[in-house]
Amino acid sequence: MSIRVEELSKAYGKHAALHNTTLEVCTGKLVALLGPSGSGKTTLLRLIAGLETPNAGRVFFHGEEVTEKSAYERRAGFVFQHYALFQHMTVFDNIAFGLEVRPRATRPSKAQIRDRVQELLKLIQLEAFGKRYPAQLSGGQRQRVALARALAIDPSVLLLDEPFGALDAKVRKELRAWLRRFHDETHITSLFVTHDQEEAFEVADEVVILNEGSIQQIGSPHGIRKDPANVFVQDFLGIEYQI
Amino acid sequence: MAGAIQDLTASRGLARRPQRATEERPLVRWLLIAISVGFFAGFLLLPLVAVFVEGFRRGAALYFQSFSDGVSLEAMKLTLITAGIAVPCNTVFGVAAAWAITRFEFRGKQLFTTLIDLPLWISPVIGGLIYVLLFGSQGVLGPWLQQHHWRIIYNTPGIVLATVFVTFPFVARSLIPLMQAQGLAEEEAALTLGARGWQVFLRVTLPKIKWGLLYGVILCNARAMGEFGAVSVVSGHIRGLTNTVPLQIEILYNEYAFAAAFALASLLSFLALITLAIKGYVEWRALQDLKASQL
Repeated sequence: MSIRVEELSKAYGKHAALHNTTLEVCTGKLVALLGPSGSGKTTLLRLIAGLETPNAGRVFFHGEEVTEKSAYERRAGFVFQHYALFQHMTVFDNIAFGLEVRPRATRPSKAQIRDRVQELLKLIQLEAFGKRYPAQLSGGQRQRVALARALAIDPSVLLLDEPFGALDAKVRKELRAWLRRFHDETHITSLFVTHDQEEAFEVADEVVILNEGSIQQIGSPHGIRKDPANVFVQDFLGIEYQI
Repeated sequence: MAGAIQDLTASRGLARRPQRATEERPLVRWLLIAISVGFFAGFLLLPLVAVFVEGFRRGAALYFQSFSDGVSLEAMKLTLITAGIAVPCNTVFGVAAAWAITRFEFRGKQLFTTLIDLPLWISPVIGGLIYVLLFGSQGVLGPWLQQHHWRIIYNTPGIVLATVFVTFPFVARSLIPLMQAQGLAEEEAALTLGARGWQVFLRVTLPKIKWGLLYGVILCNARAMGEFGAVSVVSGHIRGLTNTVPLQIEILYNEYAFAAAFALASLLSFLALITLAIKGYVEWRALQDLKASQL
């Protein structure tokens, strides 16, 4: 599944958060949206998920237009910066949620849901934590549960908004490596937002650099470092001028 | 050096309990506590005790006899019917209003938010009067209603309408700040997981707001059962037909049937005490939930 956005624009009142953005994330790639705060990267991610409505432009998932579709029809797996786990549900119920809310016709049986949740708990290495509540978990554990919850619905694409932003440096590094390994195994088309260039360059296949609502450069980590497109990218990455 | 440290510890041992900068002097503290507790006892607790004492003055037999009187029973029935309609109405409205105000941006939202409080600012008598002006025989819709033989004023519908008006803000007011503080993240997560609007509400929002909602419903109910002013205007005071418990109490009192009046009054007071107890429990539970989510 690929993600494609065409000439997407979004303004809040008079403030243009994103203008005229075109971007394609190829099937099976892990792409980072990198930029300073206020650069429009989270807006772009939320527009793709269907959590915001664009003022102009179109969104495609694997060639099929989803611009007019609501978030629940798109079912893009979304991982929030502050986890957004359901506080009143156990870890098990959190992960099962996306399967439980399906219409009766397509809803898996209780046993199937249980198996799927167990499988995901194993994947995130929290097999013994199914009965706990989110408040009883550490930050890193919560974020893994949030990821498992998003994966439970077999999402067509995975969107991560500053997934490691609220974690301390050590856990951050571990989860980063874990995400990379996870992606290598599943090859699910993924787009993640970060303001941390080290994170973007270490994890992603391709990096998209945004500033003030516009894409500045798209390229491989190596390519961007070697050949920054403009002064902003150069400054942002802290690359010395080469005359 | 060692001597200096010893000196310090010694003097600390002798010093009085350290006084925090924000703490008042003992005299002021005692005075404030005495005034507030004294005021509470004199103006709230004493009358409440008096109600029960007066009710039981002529013995328990007469006390319970007051309730089995047909007219009083009708008054209780009408009060229950009124609250039974007004509270669910305002619960649905309150949740819808709180949802709209905290989730959507629309023109006139600020004005709407302010106007929800209107029934709290104006005298309840006016709350009753507006329905007389609308539906009374001299009112705007009066002739039309009369043609169709619909009676609203001096009848149960009028009493229900007046009660709905007066108890309008309670649920919405207890939910709006709560829902604003909680934010939208969990609802958004539910949406991306494929939940539809009503599933998001039932499975995510409702469990999050349940204590706040219960709190609002209890306050709304207490007010609905106790409302006097607005109901008095639209009731017409027809014995056994359009008298709610508070109105019946006034009638009994005016007829010097003190024991019966205070017996009914004690019933309403008892309701208030139960409300307070549930309210206390709900607040405590909400606090526990809040603590748990912030661990």
